[in-house]
Amino acid sequence: MTGTGHEILRLTGIGKRFPGVRALDDVSISIRAGEVHALTGENGSGKSTLSRVMAGLHAPDDGQILVDGQPVHFATPADAIARGIVMISQELTLATTLTVAENVFLGRLPKTRLGTVDWPRLNREAATVLNRLGVHVAPTTPVAELSVEMRQEVEIARALSAQARVLILDEATSSLSEAATRRLLDLIAREREAGIAVVMITHRMPEIYAVAQVATVLRDGRHVATVPLPATTEAELVRLMVGREIGDFYGKRQIPRAGTVLEVEDLATLDGALAPASFTVARGEIFGIAGLVGSGKAEVGLALGGAIAAAGRVRVAGRTVVLGEPSRAIAAGIGFVPDDRKASALLLARSVLENFTLAWRGRFSRFGLLDVRRERRAVDRAMTTYRVDTGSPLTAISTLSGGNQQKVILGRTFQRQPDVLVLSEPTRGIDVGAKSEIYRMMQAAAEAGAGVVVISSELPELLGVADTIAVFFEGRLTAVLDRADADEETIAQLAVAGRPHARTTPPVAAGANA
Amino acid sequence: MTAPPARPANDRFSGQTPLLQRFLRSQYAGALICLVLISVYLGVTQPIFLSWPNLMNVVKSNSVVFVLALGATYIVISGGIDLSVASTTAASAMIFGLAVQAGLSGPLAILAALAFGLFLGFLNGYLIAYLKISFFVVTLGALSIYQSFALLINDGTSLSVFAYPAFKPITAFFNGNTGLFPNLLLLDVALLLLAGGVLRYTGFGRALYAIGSNIEAARLNGINVKRVTLAVSMVAGGCAALGAVILVGRLTTAPADVDPTLLMTVLAAVLIGGTSFSGGEGGVFGTMIGVLFLGIIQNGLTLSGVSSFWQGMVSGGILIFAVWLGGVRALLRRKRQAG
Repeated sequence: MTGTGHEILRLTGIGKRFPGVRALDDVSISIRAGEVHALTGENGSGKSTLSRVMAGLHAPDDGQILVDGQPVHFATPADAIARGIVMISQELTLATTLTVAENVFLGRLPKTRLGTVDWPRLNREAATVLNRLGVHVAPTTPVAELSVEMRQEVEIARALSAQARVLILDEATSSLSEAATRRLLDLIAREREAGIAVVMITHRMPEIYAVAQVATVLRDGRHVATVPLPATTEAELVRLMVGREIGDFYGKRQIPRAGTVLEVEDLATLDGALAPASFTVARGEIFGIAGLVGSGKAEVGLALGGAIAAAGRVRVAGRTVVLGEPSRAIAAGIGFVPDDRKASALLLARSVLENFTLAWRGRFSRFGLLDVRRERRAVDRAMTTYRVDTGSPLTAISTLSGGNQQKVILGRTFQRQPDVLVLSEPTRGIDVGAKSEIYRMMQAAAEAGAGVVVISSELPELLGVADTIAVFFEGRLTAVLDRADADEETIAQLAVAGRPHARTTPPVAAGANA
Repeated sequence: MTAPPARPANDRFSGQTPLLQRFLRSQYAGALICLVLISVYLGVTQPIFLSWPNLMNVVKSNSVVFVLALGATYIVISGGIDLSVASTTAASAMIFGLAVQAGLSGPLAILAALAFGLFLGFLNGYLIAYLKISFFVVTLGALSIYQSFALLINDGTSLSVFAYPAFKPITAFFNGNTGLFPNLLLLDVALLLLAGGVLRYTGFGRALYAIGSNIEAARLNGINVKRVTLAVSMVAGGCAALGAVILVGRLTTAPADVDPTLLMTVLAAVLIGGTSFSGGEGGVFGTMIGVLFLGIIQNGLTLSGVSSFWQGMVSGGILIFAVWLGGVRALLRRKRQAG
């Protein structure tokens, strides 16, 4: 994919202010046909605001938007869509009770001469669109039956069939599966003549390097650089994003492992998503868990945290844990942080303080009465410890960046000083700077003697922080590797095929599948 | 992006925000401003409105609604809704009346009514928390069942307790004054402080907000969601029974049929007071404003000689307007934060 087509969209000198914040300041960007343009930067850098300006969701205060060299003004998203600029938003906009075909042609269903819907033609044309994208789903399938990922592809199909030329994928939707991304890229390459471009908003390095040819980096609402990829190194890109070197990104530590703290024996979920798995974690150890979506790795976390019903024996520091009840897991010394911040961790309507003390409020209460002054002091201290960046603990948690929200969620669990920490996707959707701080928090907890279980979809992260890496495949624990034996290729192979690549040395077989 | 960028957070939240600004940002500011405006208007057009006896009359005649609304506020904060409050009140009032007629002493009769209200709340809470039936279904069913119970227990006839000696001190208390203040006002204030204090200074209060805001997060952090749900239903049942005692104490009769506007008035007061029906937000101070708001409008209409048939239209319209106003403000706030 060398060389790009003509310029479709250009933004020059864009400025956008919100009360008290200058979200964008003199930002320029040019989107060319046939390219995948990564728009990146830390949370709060303005990348989201810029994409919203492109899609007509925000009107810029300064600057100009040009489509095909013509100045335009987007008053509403509909104006942008009319010019072929479509944002695939995080909130999916499909009508789930309708079929795939109806959704693809929503608002412009083909009609017969009588004015009724021409169903055969609708399904035929939808099939054509879907095939072009390589989405293998029957046009007559109700959207409700599709996975979230499939729904995103249907949305993209709808956008493309509506003559979209610039597709803006925001963070959540840009996490398409590798295969889906590949199909989309192929399509873009094939249709370069038609002039399609993709803008993806992300700060996930593997993704950026996998698909983008150009990256524009924003920081504090300003344009920092536009660089070609993959010619620019990852270290350089990170430096541009954070404005400083992150030398020791994952942090290092030297802790002697001291005795087993977590013993898991035949842990399994009742629905079969997780087959009986056994492993042990020592004090001071960071135990990584890798696997694809649906491999059972998420269920390990949920089962250990008591969030779902599970069978098997789990012991923490020798004490048996009653499964299936979060309060019992907590009492036994397990601190669980779920992967979905919004759905199962944040009290979005409440303050930072209330979110912070949700897990350790008991420490400030006697006979059910809260000592709010002591609580406030403790939260002030904890906010410094965990570097939560906000003016006041009484601020609504919803106004914090994802990284700061995650620090609150991790901090409240760490504050309880559990023997075992189970962290599911602890850095999902978080900017690079906050990630590094979260790794340090995990190292510190391990140094203090906790056993830390980290479940992650990001292999570089696991290779960076974990001492041991367990790989799950189709509900089974297939291997437990020492960091020394683990490399990205081996783990990826185990995760997608359930067995190591023929040429690599076989890893230590785990005592799984009992 | 999953969250609005908070950079630079310090710009917007540096130090103490001025008191006025903080007030204007609070959920019940809309209702309170309307309340003041209407009071001023009524004070000018109906001189009698601002007289002490009239104001105290407003307080007294809205005490039942207020006590019920306190319980309803707790339920709504925890993310639920209780459609059975008015029916629970009617059923508890009948139990209270029967207890007095059966010859129980005043305090014992009150305890019997309260215990019955707690029991009905327990039934609701048990079905919701432990049998996992939707709160909407449970309380909608309970609305009919408790109403039927109130009719059945005395064959649809109201119970007059006026003549019973055990009732004398009760009615004397609820209709009496301490100095300038009606006893009911003092009781209301005490309940308000208690209810507000529990919300702010106890683990139970925090648990209500946590469950209403995100039930899964509350559960994962060790809050016993079932027990709290059961407890909050019992609080609502207890409040309904206390409301029943006040009702009978003032009327000297236990009415067998449910006041058809009571449920709507209670829920409207909670809504106007800024407690969000999506749960996790709000408080009892707002609810007090909501009750006063509806009470004063009703009082103003009566004083102005407007037919009582109009009152439903006015309070319904005001409900929609006040909540719309609150929604618009919340939207503006969110827009500001989305920067």
